Amino acid sequence: MAREEPDVEALNEEISSDLVFNDEVKDGGGVQITCFSEVVNDVALHFQILRLPKQIYVWIGCDSAKLGRIYAAAPTRPQKDMISVTSILGGASDNTGAGIARRLVLKTGLNIILACNIPKNSPMLEAEAEKMLVQKLIQLGYARAKAEGSSS
Amino acid sequence: MDSSVPRFPVTYKSLSLDIKGNKTDVVLCSYDDHFLVIATQIGAMGTILHARKEEGVSIEPTFNVSAVFGKRDEPMLLACARQLIQHISISGSSRSLVISLGLKDHSAETLKGVVSAVIENRLW
Repeated sequence: MAREEPDVEALNEEISSDLVFNDEVKDGGGVQITCFSEVVNDVALHFQILRLPKQIYVWIGCDSAKLGRIYAAAPTRPQKDMISVTSILGGASDNTGAGIARRLVLKTGLNIILACNIPKNSPMLEAEAEKMLVQKLIQLGYARAKAEGSSS
Repeated sequence: MDSSVPRFPVTYKSLSLDIKGNKTDVVLCSYDDHFLVIATQIGAMGTILHARKEEGVSIEPTFNVSAVFGKRDEPMLLACARQLIQHISISGSSRSLVISLGLKDHSAETLKGVVSAVIENRLW
């Protein structure tokens, strides 16, 4: 991973002055944060992607900035297609987001923590959010595009 | 045309510091109903704890802290979360805290370093 560089230190100083950036990638050393928002059918979807060396944390906000339900998903076997998802916070009566978490592990090969406040019974919204998220992840290089073969 | 894209609603801060010789990345995020704190030395989120304030009948609030993912028998991690939720409560906010600690050691010094770094850069 990246070593301490003058650029990163200057960025760290900027960051501690409490500014909020839209659609930007901030690099605080080993952590890369990407945030962006989109509007889908009059609903604002907000995405926050936090890239750690061995894990990715994603927050999906639907109109509000509530944290929502948190899921953890990881590959649980040497074979890449055995993925387990568990609900960490909330999610007792609402599984919205668990499927997204699972598929993110498939696409990135990393452990995923997903926080999502998309309301229940909105499969179209869920699908749109997942599509935008995956597009961004591919753009950032965290996920493999579908056309490529299996990972190393 | 730019005004149709909504402003990203979550305030967050990301910093990197050295605690006992280990490079520690700290991220703080402020959601509507929660604060999220991530402190990692191992490149992953580690153990995730949830701390919330419970308003009871007595004047002083009680706090409920539990590990929801990862190591559940580390008292120092619980203590760290407890200190932070208390600080949040004293500052006047009644939001809950989700804190994730991926640390190389669970010594008092390390946890104190984490707590002071978070308080120094707090979003509440």
